[in-house]
Amino acid sequence: MQNIPITLVEAGMVLAKDVRRPDNPVGPPICGKGIELTAPLIMRLQDMGIRSLIVEGHPVWQEGDKTLEEQLAELDKRFAKSGDKPLMGMLKNVYRNYILKSMGESHGK
Amino acid sequence: MGNKREEIRAIIKDTKSLPTIPGIINKLNSMSANDKTSIQEMARIVSSDQVLSARILRLANSPSYGFYRVSTISNAMILLGVDVVKSLALSSSIFEIMETSVLGLWEHSLGTGVAANIIAKRLHLPDCEEIATAGLLHDIGKVIVKIKCPAEYQQIDEKISKEQSLFLDAETEFLGTDHAEIGGWLAKTWFLPEKLAEPIACHHDVAQSVNHRIKTAVVHVADTLIKASGFGFSGDSFVYPLQQIAWDQLGMSEQLLAEIVEELEDKLIEVKDFCLDLQSPNAD
Repeated sequence: MQNIPITLVEAGMVLAKDVRRPDNPVGPPICGKGIELTAPLIMRLQDMGIRSLIVEGHPVWQEGDKTLEEQLAELDKRFAKSGDKPLMGMLKNVYRNYILKSMGESHGK
Repeated sequence: MGNKREEIRAIIKDTKSLPTIPGIINKLNSMSANDKTSIQEMARIVSSDQVLSARILRLANSPSYGFYRVSTISNAMILLGVDVVKSLALSSSIFEIMETSVLGLWEHSLGTGVAANIIAKRLHLPDCEEIATAGLLHDIGKVIVKIKCPAEYQQIDEKISKEQSLFLDAETEFLGTDHAEIGGWLAKTWFLPEKLAEPIACHHDVAQSVNHRIKTAVVHVADTLIKASGFGFSGDSFVYPLQQIAWDQLGMSEQLLAEIVEELEDKLIEVKDFCLDLQSPNAD
């Protein structure tokens, strides 16, 4: 999944997370996850003051975005000094799975 | 080396040398010790200082707590508790320093506060706001090292850059102590409640925690998760070993950990936005 500015959101993208009003972030969602975005819906959300949306996969490449390979290499580096204890192996694996999932089925390619 | 440790301890004992606002805090301490004082009376005292109130409200509305609409000090005291507001008041100057000169540490601290809150809620622990506050405050000792021992801080920084050392090892080498112990001293000097002081002092060694081991374990796991996530920068970029004692104390499982990580990563997007908002020219 990817958090992108609403100005870069296009019709056909799918919401990965519920959207809530910026003035009531703990209130009920105004648009649920799994919904395929359309141009009028994007405009309505923009009018409500929504600045960014979290969508499925990694449809937009912005400056500073890291590829799947880069993210996994950084994960290896962060865990370089934590030894080979079972808990650390499990923790690393949980993060690895999260990264794989967040990049979508195409892994951002 | 032992001298340096004692030197730092003496600096912390001398409250006048520390960046804080003692006047109001002293009043608040004596008021909160008195059962007859109402929250409104305490809120009025804090609200009399507009800068301090604004700082507290900004922290109370941070993603660490998840309330977002705390508009008055008396609301903050009801929602977060008097102890939390008092702790935020005391540490607001430290956070101010983090925001301006060690932004990576500020992000790491906010992230740890968020993670601690998520873990506490998932485990249905009482006092989630206090646990989140302990997460937010856990690395305050690092700010003291930075502002009070700039030469050693630079040596620590250089050692980490050159030798890829752990921050904890480097500070022990140059200071004869570490940020957790220093943070614990600071918490005691400020008369922070033991339930906050102990997690700060023992977050790298949960076994040392005696009276508040669950809170300490939460902060330890939260700190580890934020390091594993690579969010912010707390002095080095390595994940420290997750201690078995903390894992067992909280009764964690791989499934629960995966759910916490997913929720945390979502929230970290908010934390990033919160930090960016603070840095924007229109911020308070």
